[in-house]
Amino acid sequence: MNDALIGIDVGGTYTDGVLFSDGSVVHSVKHRTDEDDLEGTLLLILDDLLAHRRAKDVRRIVLSTTLVTNLLATGRGERTALILLPGKGLPNSAYDISPDTYFLKGWIDFRGRQIEAPDPKEIEDTLKKIHASGIERIAIAGKFSNRNDSHEKMLKKTAESLYPHMDVCTSNEISGRLNFPRRAVTCYYTAMTVRDWNRFADDMEAAIRARAPHCELHILKADGGTTTLAASRKRPCETVFSGPAASTMGTLALSREELNAVSIDIGGTTSDISLLIEGQPLYASRGALIAGHLTHVSSFAVSSIPLGGDSAVYTTDGKLEIGPMRLGPAACFGGEVPTVTDAFNIMNALGLGNAQASHAALSRVAQGLQVPLDSLCRSIAGEVVERLAQSIKDMFRLWEDEPAYKVWEVVHKREFHLHQVIGIGAAAPAVVPMLAERMKVPHFLHRLSPVANALGAAVARPTLAVEVHVDTGRETYSGSPGGLSGKVDKRNYQLKDARELAQACLKQVCADRGLADYADDAQIYSEEQFNVIRGWEQEGKLFDIGIQISPGFIREFKGVEN
Amino acid sequence: MKTTGVIFFPAFDWAISPTHPEREERLLYTRDQLFEEGIMDMPGVTEYHPRLATEKDVSRVHFCVPDIESRVTTAHMVSAGCALVMADAFMNKEVRNAFAIIRPPGHHAMTVVHGNRGFCDINNEAVMVEYLRRTYGVKRLAIVDTDVHHGDGTQEIFWHDPDVLFISFHQDGRTLYPGSGFVEEMGGPLAYGTTINIPMAPKTTDEGIHYIMDNLVMPILDEFKPEIVINSAGQDNHYSDPLANMSFTAQGYAVLNQKLKPDIAVLEGGYSIETALPYVNMGIIMAMAGIDFSNLQEPDYDPSRFKESSRNRAYIKSLVEHQLAAFRGREAVVDKHRKEGREFWGSSRSIFYDTEYLQEEQRLDLRMCPTCCGFRRISSGCAHRSGRNYSVECIAIPAACCPDCVSRGLEEYSSLKKKKSGDHIYLQDRVNDDYRTFESKAGEETVV
Ligand SMILES: [Zn+2]
Ligand SMILES: [Zn+2]
Repeated sequence: MNDALIGIDVGGTYTDGVLFSDGSVVHSVKHRTDEDDLEGTLLLILDDLLAHRRAKDVRRIVLSTTLVTNLLATGRGERTALILLPGKGLPNSAYDISPDTYFLKGWIDFRGRQIEAPDPKEIEDTLKKIHASGIERIAIAGKFSNRNDSHEKMLKKTAESLYPHMDVCTSNEISGRLNFPRRAVTCYYTAMTVRDWNRFADDMEAAIRARAPHCELHILKADGGTTTLAASRKRPCETVFSGPAASTMGTLALSREELNAVSIDIGGTTSDISLLIEGQPLYASRGALIAGHLTHVSSFAVSSIPLGGDSAVYTTDGKLEIGPMRLGPAACFGGEVPTVTDAFNIMNALGLGNAQASHAALSRVAQGLQVPLDSLCRSIAGEVVERLAQSIKDMFRLWEDEPAYKVWEVVHKREFHLHQVIGIGAAAPAVVPMLAERMKVPHFLHRLSPVANALGAAVARPTLAVEVHVDTGRETYSGSPGGLSGKVDKRNYQLKDARELAQACLKQVCADRGLADYADDAQIYSEEQFNVIRGWEQEGKLFDIGIQISPGFIREFKGVEN
Repeated sequence: MKTTGVIFFPAFDWAISPTHPEREERLLYTRDQLFEEGIMDMPGVTEYHPRLATEKDVSRVHFCVPDIESRVTTAHMVSAGCALVMADAFMNKEVRNAFAIIRPPGHHAMTVVHGNRGFCDINNEAVMVEYLRRTYGVKRLAIVDTDVHHGDGTQEIFWHDPDVLFISFHQDGRTLYPGSGFVEEMGGPLAYGTTINIPMAPKTTDEGIHYIMDNLVMPILDEFKPEIVINSAGQDNHYSDPLANMSFTAQGYAVLNQKLKPDIAVLEGGYSIETALPYVNMGIIMAMAGIDFSNLQEPDYDPSRFKESSRNRAYIKSLVEHQLAAFRGREAVVDKHRKEGREFWGSSRSIFYDTEYLQEEQRLDLRMCPTCCGFRRISSGCAHRSGRNYSVECIAIPAACCPDCVSRGLEEYSSLKKKKSGDHIYLQDRVNDDYRTFESKAGEETVV
């Protein structure tokens, strides 16, 4: 029967893959990532996994890739023009996004009313200029286009009719959230990467179809959910930072408890910390930061600190130093210089690798400092645990100190009560037990934690967030993503009508994206209702409804045996 | 680079009543504008999160009758708390200046609080000033009230305080609530001249207000040399405000803040929620953060729409000259008062609470101390909406009091307690940061 799931996570150094079936990991693989041939790496892993199960038994393959992240981070994306319609407000100099930025007329206000119309002549001239400079990708973003997308749509139509070969993206299709610069950046990055992403998608689709013609093909997103490969073609930006999302979803898949937890991925030279609140990952409240700009891509809040199992232990001027650099593997694994792992190895008698080597290497440092070896190990471990604990507490505060806009939120101030520390990554077994003890909570380690990332990709369910804004005074609504809009009947419009509208919008977007099966998993996550009063009379109501399929697992996933 | 701290607290779940100007919707479009502009993401701006003010913070300023819990809404406690968050950020040098975009407002709340006045329960700026003094040892401050309504609450609270300069420009009290703020209101006998009122004729424009800024407000601030300048930043001087009749613009407000360079600005009134607030708040943040605001304007802005009349120009010029001279002559007046050798300076008045239609009768006696600003005794009576009639006695000992005034103030409090005069007897001892309430009937004292 076709119940097998495949997850592949392409990381910066390694690519991991798992084949998951009937509650257990049937097979897992790890290969070095070839940055210049991501497809080759992916297929190598896929073929290895498919050797363990007939292709027709595989129901779904989920890929987490670094393609878009790398394109944007290294500035290798192709030259893209950004057309902005900012109306009045911040100076144009505030938008330092693209070297090819054009500011055009057109002003919409917060209620979606047109204050100033765009100028068709100016539009044509600008497009001509863009074309003449050899640019073939255009991003269009207007302030408050989330409340009225007519200007953006008109520009797009003009561009597509005059220059049909160009890739044109508008910001309202990407996100309906407030924050024009973030919408502009996200739209710009989308226009910049859409062609490369589609080339990759074409290749992967062809290669996978040749192997497993009937299986679903999904891509992991930064928010820990999947999207179909087809739907990702319009939104490549959503695929950034899927690696940390894969890891976090993996830890969640292994622990399967709706707890407040810290997930800590202790690698060679860095530790990535993320928070789980009642089993839900904490998002970066201001959106993903990509190549120096905040975006409307929702991604997990991950705090990376330069401290890992391979962080070197040494002395400068008679003072003990730990990291941040790596000078090779731990002594117990054949390295020259002792590391954090060596210290934990001795102190907790973990018996990792050649424990004698840990002993010898750290003894040299102890002699230099003229302290007994066991007290040296204690101070190294203490320092490491303290630094991690501090970063974890900073994360709590980040969440507790989110701005609040209601009296209720201030009175019921959030407080993070930690239940568990979940460790993944190579050095986690050495460090996490002590860290958890320091935080006075139990720890959780799983034998599968080295492949948690690929497992997370394999079993994550699709996610989707839809936001609807209703203005009964103007008898309009707008919804995103995808630039939904239409009329509402002003008479006696209630919160429940707005909720139903949001539900209908979500269903529609789900259908468009091949996620119809998941529409019922959606829940309303934010609700606002305001009466519009003019001259002591009610003129209308404003509603903002957010509905989403939040990160979670596909239905057939019931946990993994430890 | 030091940034501008901004706290945005729109109290989206609080209203005085569903259709009242102080309703949930008031800062909704400001939220839309600020968030859509993404100004909180700019490198020059840092967003802060709110907290509740404590009862002690409030007791440093107010006598709430019968107590804080029954007089002050939680929304007001958060609003005042937000001002304190900004004060901390500024004093800890986390930011170069700070703006609290908060509601409900505070500048009509006076020392004794029997109810809500002009949408205010407690005075956010005053609570912040006393917090700054207590926590950080700040002594001299200036509050410039740029709301269209006279900041009568703030004026009354600092009326006898020579170390707080209070300047209010507003639409003439003969044409607008609260009907005060006239030229001759210059402060108490020992703090004369540190209250400056600038009543403006209706329809005064950017030009008129900037003349006042350049020729009166800035010179006075230069001479007074405050450690901290606070903008009590109402936005109802705007040409579109429904409750007032002035002709100020968003550009005008931005330039005002560029000139004033407030260390901390605190939002007060402003009820043109669609046409003014989104743009004025943007303008103030931009001016404070040093962001070019030349591209900012209201949708219906027309630069040729408002022109200052020559008659009003002449009026403003003479007003400015008069007030500048009065300010410069203030020390002589205080000297004269002191030399009169009176033991106490008494005065009586009625205070109207517009929100709840209450009438308070108050008598105030100030000790004419030869060395300090003196302690005060306030007797106040008011019939509350509950039908209950309260008659209370309050002793206020300012932080700058001499030891003699402190001991006399404390003696007075003890003797009032013994006599059980009044339903409640309050002590506000800022020198020892000690705040007490004595309930006569029960004979019980509570310490805040
Ligand atoms: Zn006002
Ligand atoms: Zn004295």
